[in-house]
Amino acid sequence: MHLTFRHRNRHLTAELRRSEERGVFHAAVDGHIFEVEGALLGPFTLRVVIDGRTHTAQVVRVGDAIHVSIAGEVHVFAPGTAAAAETSGPTLASPQITSPMPGKVLQVLVQEGQKVAAGDGLLILEAMKMENRIVAEAAAVVRKVHVNEGEMVDGGAVMMELEYEEEDEPA
Amino acid sequence: MFRKILIANRGEIGVRIARACRELGIVPVAVYSEADRTAPHVRAADQAVCIGPAPSRESYLDIDAIVAAARETGADAVHPGYGFLAENAAFARAVGEAGLTFIGPAPDAIAAMGDKTRARDIVSAAGVPVVPAVQEPPADPDERLVAAERLGFPLLIKAAAGGGGKGMRIVRAAAEFPAAFAAAEREARSAFGDGRLFLERYFERPRHVEVQVLADEHGNIVHLGERECSIQRRYQKIVEEAPSPAVTPNTRETLTAAAVAAARSVGYTNAGTVEFLYTDGGEFHFLEMNTRLQVEHPITEWVAGIDLVQAQIRIAAGEALWLHQEDVALRGHAIECRVYAEDPAQHFLPSPGRIAFLREPQGPGVRVDSGIVADYDVPLHYDPMLAKLSVWAGDRDAARRRMIAALRDYVVLGVTTSIPFLADLLAHPRFADGATHTHFIDENMPAWQPGAAHTDAAAVAAALYTALAPSTAAPSDSHSTHQPSPWQRLGAWRLGNGGDSV
Repeated sequence: MHLTFRHRNRHLTAELRRSEERGVFHAAVDGHIFEVEGALLGPFTLRVVIDGRTHTAQVVRVGDAIHVSIAGEVHVFAPGTAAAAETSGPTLASPQITSPMPGKVLQVLVQEGQKVAAGDGLLILEAMKMENRIVAEAAAVVRKVHVNEGEMVDGGAVMMELEYEEEDEPA
Repeated sequence: MFRKILIANRGEIGVRIARACRELGIVPVAVYSEADRTAPHVRAADQAVCIGPAPSRESYLDIDAIVAAARETGADAVHPGYGFLAENAAFARAVGEAGLTFIGPAPDAIAAMGDKTRARDIVSAAGVPVVPAVQEPPADPDERLVAAERLGFPLLIKAAAGGGGKGMRIVRAAAEFPAAFAAAEREARSAFGDGRLFLERYFERPRHVEVQVLADEHGNIVHLGERECSIQRRYQKIVEEAPSPAVTPNTRETLTAAAVAAARSVGYTNAGTVEFLYTDGGEFHFLEMNTRLQVEHPITEWVAGIDLVQAQIRIAAGEALWLHQEDVALRGHAIECRVYAEDPAQHFLPSPGRIAFLREPQGPGVRVDSGIVADYDVPLHYDPMLAKLSVWAGDRDAARRRMIAALRDYVVLGVTTSIPFLADLLAHPRFADGATHTHFIDENMPAWQPGAAHTDAAAVAAALYTALAPSTAAPSDSHSTHQPSPWQRLGAWRLGNGGDSV
C-alpha cells in the first residue's frame, strides 16, 4: 500500500507492506524504513510498535483526513497527491487567502497591487468574539481583494488572492 | 436554602454549577440557545428552557428571556456563572425585581466595580494603590494624543466597560496611538455596546496576581489567598496557579489586606476577585475587581479546600460565613490550564468543529471541568474554551509535572486545541523557574510549532489504521472534493485477502 499524505504544509509518502508474520509490517515514511507491529485495540485505539518502541495511538477519521494522537503529539494526515510529493517537498503557501471560519471582515489592511512581507497583516476578521488578524505567510503581491469591510463571509470563502515572490518560498 | 436554581450560562461553568446545586439538594435548571440544544450543560440539568437563537445577544444576553425562564420554572434563585450577564448590574436588578435571588453581589457593587474609572477612585480612596492613568481621554484626537504623551509610552488602552482583553491595546509609540485607539473603540463597542476607553501606564514585565475574597451579608469578609494568572494570550489568561511563585508571606499579608479593603469599600458580598499588577520586588497596583466567580476558581478550591460555588449559594441564601480568616489554611500548589479550540501555531486562531474523539485525563489530583463530549459540535457563536484542566500536588514542581503528564494524556481530535502548546509551556525551563509574567508567551514561545518528534510513528499509525480499520463508506457528502481521495482510490481493500501487499 502506498499513500500520500498532506501533513502540516508538506507532503509525505507512507508505504506499508505486510510481512510473513501476522501483524508485522514493513513501513517506509519518506524513504525511512521501519519494522512495525500494529493491532487495533478498539475503534479508535491502535497499538503500534515501531523500532521496538510501543505507542498507544488514538486515531479517528475526520472526513477524508486521519487524525492521530501519539505520545502527546497530534498529527493530521489529509489525502495528498503523489505528484505534489514528488516534485515539491515543502508545498507553497496557498495563493488564496480563505476565511478559516464564518465571520465579519472588520478591516482590509492592503490594496490590490500592494507588496507584502511574510507576517504582514492582510485583513482583520471578527469571529468567535475575537478580532483575528490574517497575515501573509510569505512575501507576496496582493492580486485581488474579494471582500469589503463590514462584509460577512462563510468559512472557506476566498477573501484575497496573492502572488508569492518566487525566490522566497515559505516553509 | 433555595429549592431550584436557574443557571444563566452555558459550557463547562453550566455543568459545574449544576453539580454544586445537586450536592446541596437543589434542582438545577439550564437555559440554552438554539445552537446548544444538546450541549453538556443542558444534559447536566434537571430542566432546561430554550431562550432564543444562537447569537448570544438574542439568548444568553437576553435579560427578559432569562428572567421569564426563571419564573416559569419556579426557580427561586439565579446563578450567572462568569461572562455573559455575570457582571451586568441591570440583570442582577431585574432578577431581584422578579422576586428571585441573584447569586452574586448587590447590583450597586457590580455597577461600582464594573465602571473601571469609578472603581479606581473608590478603592484608591480606601488606600489601595492604583495604576497611573488618564481616566477620560479627550474627545479631540490631537488633545488625546497630547494626554497620551503626557502619561508616557508604553501605555495601555482599555475599555471602561471591559474585561477579558476585549477593547485592549498596548501602544509603544505616539505614531501607533490613533489607529490603536480606533481599533480598541470598535472592539469595545461591539463587545460591550460601550465604546468608552481609558489609558493606563504600561508595565513591561508585570505579573497578574489576584486575590479571592468571600463576603457574607453580615459584614464578614475572608480572603482565600492569591492566584497568579500571568500566562496570557490575547490578554486572556490561559494558565493560572495558586499560590503565586513570586509572592512572599510578608507581601501576601499586605496584598490580601488591600484586597479585603477594596471589597469592603463597595460593601461587597458573595465571591469576588481583586486583580493586581504585581512587579517583582513586591510592588502591586489595583487593576480591577471581578464581581463574580472566576474561570480559574478551581485552583483556589484545590488549595483552600472550599467549594466556591456552594459557598456562593450559601451566602446568597443569607448564611453567615462559617469560617474565620484563621480557619483558612492554604495547602500545596494547584495549576489550571484552559483548553481552547484554537491553533497556537496560527496566532491562536479559533478552530470550531466537531469533537471526533475525546479522552480526558484522570488520576490523583487531576480535575477536568469540561464543556464538551465526543461528537459534540463546538459552536461558532461563543468563546472557544472547551474545558479546564486543573491539578493539585504538594509543591509547585510536583504540580507542574502532574500537569504535563495530564496534558500529554488529554486527547481531543477533530478540532485543533491548545493542549500540545500548554504541555510545552509547562515544560519550558522559564516556567519551571517561576519566571512568569504577562508577556511570557511572546518572549519565550514566539514561533511555537507543534512537536514533530513522532511524525514518522504517527504516519505509520495513519497507514496502519487505513489498513486495519478500512472506512466502511467513503464520505461522499464532502462539499468540495475535486479529486478522489487516496482512500477512495484504494477501494475497499481488506486485510487477509491473500495478497502479500497490503
